[in-house]
Amino acid sequence: MDNTPTRTVFQGMAPWECMVFYGLSLVSVGLFIWGCYRLMRRYRTGRPRGAKLDIRRVLRGTGRTLRIVLTHAWIRRGSGAVGLAHAGVFYGFLALFAGTVILTIEEDIAVPLGWGFWHGRFYEWYSLLLDIAGAAMLAGLIYFGLRRARGLARLDYARVDNRPVSPARARYKFDDWVFLWALLYIGATGFLLGALRIAIDLPSFEVWSPIAYLFAMLLRAVGISGHVADMLRTVTWWFHGVVCLGFIASIPFTKALHIFTGPTAVAVRDENVSRKLPDEPQTGYAFLADFLPGHKLDLDACTKCGRCHEVCPARSSGMPLSPRDVVLDLREAQKQGFGGALVPEIVAPETLWSCMQCNACVAVCPVGIEQVPIINLLRRGLVEAGQPETSLQPVFQAVQTTGNSFGESRRKRARWTKELDFEVLDARKQPVDVLWFVGDYASMDQRNQRNTRALAQILTTAGVNFGILYESEQTAGNDVRRAAEEGLFRSLAAENIKTLAKCTFNRILTSDPHSYNTLRNEYPGLGANWSGDRVVHHSAFLLELMEGGRLIASNPLGRRATYHDPCALGRYNGIFEQPRELIRRCGVEIVEMPRNRSDSFCCGAGGGRIWMKEPVPVAFVKKEDAQIGSARPSVQRIDEAIGLGSLDYFIVACPKDVAMYDDAIKTSGHAEHIQLKEISELVSEAIGLASSR
Amino acid sequence: MSEGILIVAEHLRGELCEITREVVSAGKQLKGKGRLTIALIARDPSAFVAAASLEGVDEIIEVPVNASEFNADIYIEALEAIVRERKPAAVLMGFTAYGMETGPTLAVRAGLGFASDVVSCSMEGGKVLARRRFHGGKVEAELEFRDDAVLLLRICHREFIDPPANELDISTADVIMAIGRGIGERENVQKVEALAERMGVTLAASRPLVDAGWVPKYRQVGQSGTTVKPKLYLALGISGAFQHVAGMKKSEVIVGVNEDPQAPIFNVAHYGAVADLFDVVDELEKLWG
Amino acid sequence: MKTIVCVKWTGALGDDVEFTDDQRGVDPDYLDFALNEWDACAIEEALRMRDAADGGEVIVVTVGGEDSEKALVRCLAMGADRAVRVASDDVTLVDPIRLGQLLAAAMQGEQADLVLCGAQSSDAAQGATGSAVAAFLGFPCVAVVTKVEYDGSVGKARVHRELGGGVVEVVDVRTPAVLTIQTGINEPRYVTLRAIQQASQAEIRVIDAETVPLRETGYQVRRMFVPPKAQAELIVGSSEAIAQRITKLIQEARA
Repeated sequence: MDNTPTRTVFQGMAPWECMVFYGLSLVSVGLFIWGCYRLMRRYRTGRPRGAKLDIRRVLRGTGRTLRIVLTHAWIRRGSGAVGLAHAGVFYGFLALFAGTVILTIEEDIAVPLGWGFWHGRFYEWYSLLLDIAGAAMLAGLIYFGLRRARGLARLDYARVDNRPVSPARARYKFDDWVFLWALLYIGATGFLLGALRIAIDLPSFEVWSPIAYLFAMLLRAVGISGHVADMLRTVTWWFHGVVCLGFIASIPFTKALHIFTGPTAVAVRDENVSRKLPDEPQTGYAFLADFLPGHKLDLDACTKCGRCHEVCPARSSGMPLSPRDVVLDLREAQKQGFGGALVPEIVAPETLWSCMQCNACVAVCPVGIEQVPIINLLRRGLVEAGQPETSLQPVFQAVQTTGNSFGESRRKRARWTKELDFEVLDARKQPVDVLWFVGDYASMDQRNQRNTRALAQILTTAGVNFGILYESEQTAGNDVRRAAEEGLFRSLAAENIKTLAKCTFNRILTSDPHSYNTLRNEYPGLGANWSGDRVVHHSAFLLELMEGGRLIASNPLGRRATYHDPCALGRYNGIFEQPRELIRRCGVEIVEMPRNRSDSFCCGAGGGRIWMKEPVPVAFVKKEDAQIGSARPSVQRIDEAIGLGSLDYFIVACPKDVAMYDDAIKTSGHAEHIQLKEISELVSEAIGLASSR
Repeated sequence: MSEGILIVAEHLRGELCEITREVVSAGKQLKGKGRLTIALIARDPSAFVAAASLEGVDEIIEVPVNASEFNADIYIEALEAIVRERKPAAVLMGFTAYGMETGPTLAVRAGLGFASDVVSCSMEGGKVLARRRFHGGKVEAELEFRDDAVLLLRICHREFIDPPANELDISTADVIMAIGRGIGERENVQKVEALAERMGVTLAASRPLVDAGWVPKYRQVGQSGTTVKPKLYLALGISGAFQHVAGMKKSEVIVGVNEDPQAPIFNVAHYGAVADLFDVVDELEKLWG
Repeated sequence: MKTIVCVKWTGALGDDVEFTDDQRGVDPDYLDFALNEWDACAIEEALRMRDAADGGEVIVVTVGGEDSEKALVRCLAMGADRAVRVASDDVTLVDPIRLGQLLAAAMQGEQADLVLCGAQSSDAAQGATGSAVAAFLGFPCVAVVTKVEYDGSVGKARVHRELGGGVVEVVDVRTPAVLTIQTGINEPRYVTLRAIQQASQAEIRVIDAETVPLRETGYQVRRMFVPPKAQAELIVGSSEAIAQRITKLIQEARA
C-alpha cells in the first residue's frame, strides 16, 4: 500500500452511494437555509430601529464580538471550569467542522483541478489537530453531562410563579439531553470511524491520530481488523454522516441555534445597554410585532443557562420574576407566532413590576441578552395602556405636580440648606465651577439630608466653587424612566435641560448614582448642552479632591468596613475602584462581600420598586421557592455583610441605599452589630469636620 | 334696612342639636342692637321651644311643617318666606350635611350672599364680616359682604348618630390611641392594635387607613367618621389635617407624635413629640409589655 | 346619556406662604397645582357610567384663567369628549354662589342628564358649589355621594350619600340632578404624560365671565393672612423619654 500519509475520501463507496450522500447533504443544507430564512423573516417583522438591521453597527462591533466570543469572556464569567469546558466543545466543534470543509474543498475542488493538498505533512497535522479537537469536544460534553446529571437548581426550569408549565417547557430538559447526546454521538462515532478505518491495516502514519490509533489497536486486539473493520466502518460512516447532516438541518429549529444566535446577539448588543434605555419605541412593547429586531434575536439566543435566574434579586426574595423565564416565555410565544397582547397572557404584570432594573441579569448573560430593556419596554406598553403598577400612580402624579417623588412642595427642595451656617450659591443666578444636582432623596429624605449637609460642608472646606438649582431642580427622572412613564421622563428631562441651559458650569456633581446615570448617559442624547464625561459622582470627586491635596484625611478612622456597590454606579457605569480608594484614604480597611463590584446584589430600590410599598403577594409565588432567601434583598445583603465577621461600617454611596439599608439593619436585628455610613459622612469624619457617633 | 340675625335650628329625632347652641353664640357676636331670632321648623316646633330658649335669644319662631325629620325642600321654602318677610342682616346655620343642602340653594333663591365653614364673624358699620380658612387651614381670609342679608355657616363637630349594630362605639372611650398614614403598612397596624390592647386604650384611625381597608370604619375619627372627646387623645403619625382634627379637637388632652416638625397636629395638640412613631411604639411596648 | 362634570385646578400650599401685593390672595409661586382630588373621582365616575351605558357624552367645565385649562386637558386625556372654560381670574376668591352661577351659565342649552361636581375642593373646601349650580339650574342636588346607580334610561338615579358619623343614606333623586361626589367612590384612572400632551391639542370653548351678570350679594376678600397658630408643648428627649411621658399623661387622664 502507498505509505503517503493520506486516505481516500469515500473509501470503498460506490458512485451511487456518493450521490446519495451528496443528495442528502443538499437536503440538509436546504433545510438549514430554509430554517434560517424563516428566522430572518421573523426578526424583520419587528419594528426596525432605522430602516433595517444596522449592518454598519454590526460590522463596527465585529472586532469586539470576535474578542468576546473567541476568548469566551462572557461564558467564563462566574465559572472558569464552565468556560474551559465550553471552549473545548466550541473549538472542538469548530475544528471538526473546518476539517469537513477542508475535506470538501480537497475532494470537490482541489483534486479535480489537480491541486490536491490533503496528504503528507498536511495530512499528519490535520489528523493530529482533529483528534485533539474531537477529544476536547468530548471532554467538554462529558463535563456538562455529568454536571447536569448531578442536578443544578437552575437547570430544572422550575417556574417562580403560579403559571402552568407549557408543553414546550416540559420538554426543555429532554431537549437539552437530546442536544448533548447528539453531539456526544457525533464525536464518539467520529472517533470510532477513525479507529475502524485504522484498524483495517494499521498504517504507521496514522499515529498522527493518536486516540483513534489507540482505539484501533484495541479493536485489533479483539479481532476486529481487515475486512470486518472495513464493513463496520462503512456502516458507522453512514450512521455518523446521516446524524451529522440531520444535526445541521436541525440547527435553526433546536438549541443548536445558539451557535449562530449567540454570537450574533453578542454582536448586536447595545453598548450602552440599560445605561441608556432605548428612546424608541416610546410607547413600548405591547405585541411581539413591536419588538426591536435585536430583541427578537435575543429571544432565540437564550441557551437556558439560568445564570440570570440565579443572580436576580427579585427571584431570590420570592417575587414572581425570573429573567430567564421572561425570555423563554416570550420565545415560545414568538415560535408559535403569537399575535395578541403579551401582557398578561405571556408575561404577568406582577412579573414585570417585580424587576429592580439592577442589570445583574444583563451583566451575567453569556450571549448578551438585553433582559432589562425588554422588561422596561414591556412596562412602557403597560403604562401607555393606562396600567402602571397601582402604587406608582400617585408617585407619577406627585412628580407631575411637584417635580419630586415625595409630593412635597417644590419650595421644600432646598430646605436642607437652612441648617448650614453658610449660604449655598444659586447656580441659576451666577456661574459656578461645579453644579451640584442634588436629587430627590438627597434633598428631601430626612435620613439623607444629614449626608447632603455633610457633603456641602466638605465641598466648602475644600474650597470648591459649587452651586445648586434650589427649587428649579426637578427629579432627574432616572427611576421614572425605569418605572416606564416615558412621557413623564422626557418632560422632566426637557425641563431640567432647559433650566441647566441657562446656567454656566464646568461640571455636574451628584451624590445620587441614579441621577448620575441619566444625566451622564441619557440627557446628552435628549438635547443637553453638556457631554456625559462632565458628570461626576461625589465618590470620584471627593477622591479627586483628596488626591489633589484639597482635602486632608487628618483623622484616619482606623475601622473595618464593607462597601456596597450601588447598581447604578457600579454595574451600570463601571465605577468600582474610586469609592474604594476614597474609603481607604479615610483610614478604613475594606473587607469585600462575596458579591462585590459587578456582582453586587441590588438593595431592592431600583426600577421604581422603592415606590412600590406593597410587596408582591408571596401567595403568588410557589411556597418552596419563597423559602429560599425570601427576605427582602436589602436584608439578605445585610446578612451577607454580617457573615464577614465583625465589621464597624456598612458603607454606601447612594441615597436610596441609605434609606433601604437603614431599614434593613433595623429589621434584621443587627443594629448593634453594624453601622450604616454614607461616603460623605465618612469623609466628613476623616477630615475632622464631624465626630464619629 | 335689614337687621337682626336669624338662626336656623337643627334637630334630630326629637332633640335639638348641639350645633345650634354654637350657632347661637356666633349670632350673639353679630346681633348688635338687633334681635336674635331662632326658627324652629318641625312637625311640632313647640317641643323644642324650651331647649331653644338659650341666653341671648330674643325671639323664637315656630314653623309647623309636614315632615318629621329634615327635608331640604321644606326648609328652603319656609326660610325663603321668613327671609322675605323679616329681611335679616344675616342667616346662620350649622355646617352640617343638612346645612349644606339648604344653605347655597336658599342663598340663590333668596338672593343672599354665602360663605361656609366660617370660624368667626362680626358686624362692622352695618356690614357683616366673616373669617374662613383656605388651603387646609394654613391661611385665613377676611370676607366682606356687600349688601344686607348674608348667609353663614359654622363648622361643627357632628354628634354621633347611629353606631351600626355590633360595632364598637369609640366615642365613649376615655383614652384613644389613633394612627395615621405614618403607620406605613398594614402589618404595622396589627402591631399597634396589640399594643393598644395591652395599654387598655381604644384604637382609632384617620380616614386614609379606613379607605385602604386596614382598619374598620367604626374606628375612623374625623369629619366623615366619628367625633370623640376623650380624656386623652394620642395621635401617632397623623398629620393633623382639618378633616381629622374636626373629629377630635375637643379632647381634653391631645398628644401628637409625628416626624415632621411642621405637621399641623402640633397646632392643635397640647403636647407634641417630633419623633419616629415606631421608636415611640417600641418604647411603649417595653413600658406596657 | 349626557353628563357634565365641573372641575377645578387647585393649588396645594406647602409650609411657606407669601401673599399677592394686594394681600388678598396667595402668591401662585407658592402653590403646586393639580386637578382637584374630588373632581378626579367625579370625572372618573362620569366616564365609567358613559362606558357602561355604551354611549353618551361627557363634557367637562371649569372656571378660571388660562392655567385652569390644564384641569380640562387632564380630563380630556382621561376620556372626556368636550371641554368648556369660563374665563375668569381670581378663582379661589370667587364665592361659591358666583361660581355656581358661572358654571350653570356654561351649561346653558346642553340638556344634561346628570351634573357631577366634587364634594369640595382641596384648597377652598367650601363644599357649596355643587349645591349652588343645582339651585341656578333648578335641579335637585344630593351632596357627598359615595355610589351612583344610573343608566340614563329612567328619569331617576339611586345614590348613596354620606351623612356624618359613618351613616350612609340611600336616596332616589329624579334626574336631571346635580350630585357632588365624595372621594373613595372609585380609583381615578392613570393618564400618561404623553396622553396629556396629546389631549392639549384639543379645542376648548371659552366663555367670558363678564357675559354673566354679577349678583350684588357676593362677598369680597378684604385680606388674607396667616392665622396665629397654637403650639403644642414639646416633649424632648429620646423615644424612651417620650414613651414615659405619654404613659404618665395617660395615667393622669385616667385618675
